[in-house]
Amino acid sequence: MNAFLAILRKDLILELRGGRSTTALVSLALLVLVVLTFALERTAGGGPATGAGALWIALVFAGMLGATRVMVAEQENGCLRALLLSPVDRAILYAAKLTASATFMIAAAVAATIMAMLFFNLEFSDSLATLGIALILGALGFSALATLLAAISIRARGGELLLPLLIVPIFVPALIAGVKVSAAALSGAPLAAAREWVGILVAFDVLFIAAGYLLFEHVVGEE
Amino acid sequence: MNRRLYGALGLSALTAMLVALYMVFVWVPTEADQGIVQRIFYFHVPCAWVAFASFGLVAIAGIFYLWMGTQIWDDLGYAAVEIGMLFCTLVLITGSLWAKPIWGTWWTWDSRLTTTFVLWLMYGGYLMLRTIADDTEQIARFAAVIGIVAALDVPVVIVSVRLWRTIHPAVLVTRQGGHGLEDPRMVVTLLVSLAAFTLLFAWLLLLRFSELRMRTRLATLARDIALARFRAGAA
Amino acid sequence: MAAPVIETHALGKTFGLTPVLQDTEFRLSPGRGAIVIGGNGCGKSTLLSIFAGLVAPSQGYALIFGEDTRRFGPRYRRRIGMMSHQSFLYPNLTARENLELYARLYEVSAPREVAESWLARLGLADSADDRVRTFSRGMEQRLAAARAMIHGPSLLLLDEPFTGLDFDGAARVRTLIKSALDEGCSIVATAHTPFAVEGIEFELYEIVRGQVVPYQEEDAPRRGRLRSLLRPRPS
Repeated sequence: MNAFLAILRKDLILELRGGRSTTALVSLALLVLVVLTFALERTAGGGPATGAGALWIALVFAGMLGATRVMVAEQENGCLRALLLSPVDRAILYAAKLTASATFMIAAAVAATIMAMLFFNLEFSDSLATLGIALILGALGFSALATLLAAISIRARGGELLLPLLIVPIFVPALIAGVKVSAAALSGAPLAAAREWVGILVAFDVLFIAAGYLLFEHVVGEE
Repeated sequence: MNRRLYGALGLSALTAMLVALYMVFVWVPTEADQGIVQRIFYFHVPCAWVAFASFGLVAIAGIFYLWMGTQIWDDLGYAAVEIGMLFCTLVLITGSLWAKPIWGTWWTWDSRLTTTFVLWLMYGGYLMLRTIADDTEQIARFAAVIGIVAALDVPVVIVSVRLWRTIHPAVLVTRQGGHGLEDPRMVVTLLVSLAAFTLLFAWLLLLRFSELRMRTRLATLARDIALARFRAGAA
Repeated sequence: MAAPVIETHALGKTFGLTPVLQDTEFRLSPGRGAIVIGGNGCGKSTLLSIFAGLVAPSQGYALIFGEDTRRFGPRYRRRIGMMSHQSFLYPNLTARENLELYARLYEVSAPREVAESWLARLGLADSADDRVRTFSRGMEQRLAAARAMIHGPSLLLLDEPFTGLDFDGAARVRTLIKSALDEGCSIVATAHTPFAVEGIEFELYEIVRGQVVPYQEEDAPRRGRLRSLLRPRPS
């Protein structure tokens, strides 16, 4: 626990001191939303569904490019090596990195939501909490995958291309579920209406956080 | 690999396939609703079964590779992905060929086709990794992890896509999918076709697997030679 | 005789088709210092990486404190400290934060106090709360040393500790090595050329054709040295 908190705290402090993970995520999300605004035909009454879709598109693309920064940044000064040298359990390292990455994605999601609401004329309704749940669960699931697969970004040739290629199809169930819950929330439906979708998101997160926890040690080592 | 096994497997696959072809095109009665086109079903479903079984094999090979560390499991997993992708592509193609006359479009986002497509993307990514990146033990470990993660994702994809599709009835009609086959001859044909495709899969897998084993042996040999030269003081 | 700290058995490492180490035998007794000499790419960094449990050997094995490096658990990692040309320091954290982090990771009791004492010991107390990004090379190096030793390792692995240092920096490293050895730590250092520390008798080795052999004092350049090894020695 001590090690987990120490590493997490370190990542959060570094982010506040100019880590640029969150900045990268937010900027990318903003860019995608801008592109979508100009590229999509706005259908009348399609607001919540389009807005939810746009929001998740922005987050997925931002995440593809930005969510692995927590691992990539460790390479400066060989710090990843130092972490692997230390007695820290690789699974604990994974848990800490996952939490940090998810935190940054959630922060970016908040910013992206505000922007999406502005760009797509969405309503701030009572179901904002439901929207929040969807985004948090989605960010957790995405980070779980991204942190595990980040090793590929770092150590494989063509890693920057391969990571998005792999994450997107694997993330599909969470994407579908996340958009469904978000659309429901934005049209004012209560949490219960999107119950099944939330269940899928939860199952997804549990499954891949567990998988990452068990498999991380096999991908994070050196040659 | 054992030539006899090769031959026996190949021969039985060929025989079974010929029987299946006869049954599909001649013996089995035409289905009432969809007409002749429905016969694609007897190819479409076995391909899907083979693809799914193959990807399950990839995950198992991946687990064993991470556990035991012996190259044979990686070779098995790699072969299984390649053959699985072949049949997965066939599922999508046959699905498309089936969709056009029935629904008038070349592609439909019905739950089963969508799931297969997502699978196709996942394992396509696996193949890209192995193609682009270097051929090292570390990449093999990555591949094993991806195979496991992808297999874990399959049930979630199935459930979520099915739920997704029930809300968009649009183009869709619930397909037979193995249930509601009125004539027992249809069931028999399906089973025979299933057996034929499984044998074909096994034969192709064996083929590719032995190829990869040979490649591994060559690589080991090359390494040994490099080591020997190194020891002797050559460059 | 006390059990060796490091003991290798037919250790070998090949990267792809390039062998770097082969049939390497190396032994280090507790409390001793060893220097492994070699040029770039000769494998000395790889050797240290294997000892640190970061890289798995391709052939053979290495035992550190009696434990196979491939099966290294936290208990053994806690007893090893390493310094390399990379500082292992987070530039945006302060000196104190860096030390406290690693102290916590190595389960040092009273991490804050221990970090404090090391900062004082290495003359960094005044810059304790400055970010490492602002440090001079000498200060960074002192901090890297503190990081490597903060958990009281029994084995220190130093990868080219004198490279890129000025006179003062080199003096500091010498002091560090001496005090570590005085405290019973064992040391393996790598270098391009042999170095001396007052009062310490090092075991000198070099890497020739992937093997660790006793160092031969020669004035001839590397290639010449190899040839002279093959030439019969004048009686």
